[in-house]
Amino acid sequence: MMLRSMMLAVAIGFGALPALPFGPTPALASEFTGRFLLETHDGKRVNDESFAGRIRLMAFGYTYCPDVCPTALSTMASALDLLGTKANQVVPLFVTVDPKRDTPAQLKDYMAAFGPRFIGLTGTVQMTDAAAKAFRVRYEIHPPEDGDPNHYVVDHSAGIFIMNRDGSFAAKLGYMADANEVAERLRQVMDGEKK
Amino acid sequence: MLDRRSFIAAALASALPWPAVAGKVAQGLFIAETPKPLTNVDIRDNQGQPAGIESWRGKPALVNLWASWCLPCVAELPALDRLKPIIEAEGLRVIALCLDRSGAVGAVNSYARLGIRNLAVHVDHQRQAGEAFGVAVLPTTLLLNEKAEEVARFVGGAAWDGPESLTLLRALIAGKKLETAMSPPLVRPTANP
Repeated sequence: MMLRSMMLAVAIGFGALPALPFGPTPALASEFTGRFLLETHDGKRVNDESFAGRIRLMAFGYTYCPDVCPTALSTMASALDLLGTKANQVVPLFVTVDPKRDTPAQLKDYMAAFGPRFIGLTGTVQMTDAAAKAFRVRYEIHPPEDGDPNHYVVDHSAGIFIMNRDGSFAAKLGYMADANEVAERLRQVMDGEKK
Repeated sequence: MLDRRSFIAAALASALPWPAVAGKVAQGLFIAETPKPLTNVDIRDNQGQPAGIESWRGKPALVNLWASWCLPCVAELPALDRLKPIIEAEGLRVIALCLDRSGAVGAVNSYARLGIRNLAVHVDHQRQAGEAFGVAVLPTTLLLNEKAEEVARFVGGAAWDGPESLTLLRALIAGKKLETAMSPPLVRPTANP
């Protein structure tokens, strides 16, 4: 619990000081910018500014989970349920890191399982790569074990991002976060704006 | 309060590894140190009638958490469907609990698509089961004793009607202490079922 609150505190700090600590550190290949240019599952080209004015609840992943599937999108959907009408202020986004298989049609179908609010984002490999880098999400494509080029495995860093209405970073929650925690952080972001 | 310098150091340290966990979730059989009572959640059948934990007591049970959007879950459902008539005759309940938001509709459609004949529809009516049971990835299969307490869980897909699984489940029925070595092998689907 303490560790979790500490990480949360640090994560908030990370958002508050975007440019300060990260510049000179060679281990950090890229800065967290939260920028992206992608296509929705309806084929519309969007960037981070397209959602200005709404809080974004974001996850990265892929629909072809080969062995186990994270329940992050279910958690996000339940968190929005918990918010009631306040959920209208939030746009849930899912960015694929596997655009080769996650075509707009595939994503659209998948998003439908989590509710009409969910928007799946894909693009060319360059576009999804750039988005993952901008959120410092790491992923690796593993070669197929059986020689079939469509049977590769993707590992990625899981978690749920909350971005402010202006697209800046608000929080990142771990993959074990439950719907109550996600809803609470969203409420905190909304309440923080009122002060 | 952290001073600025230590705050920045902490921020740096934390910023380096945002853990890559999704592909690294521990899979296989995990034995509970002591049997753990399940949190009660609202589980319904395809008629909307209660079909939850209260009705599972009296016999050990296998409770498989799945969703229609989860490829490895859907891939292992046919094996569970084949398992059910074999192992229920020996005294184990086999329950496939669908976590779809669409409720019974998602479960019924998946069953039809896969030709599932034996499994009954169980749905997580209030969408609480994943959290209540501490399940962060699917599929996860809970093994319960006759008091509906969790004695073990299997994370990942398995050939549930295979010999290793049958040995494990027969040990559960007999009330024997389960061991990690009894784990059936993990099965990874190779194609979209």
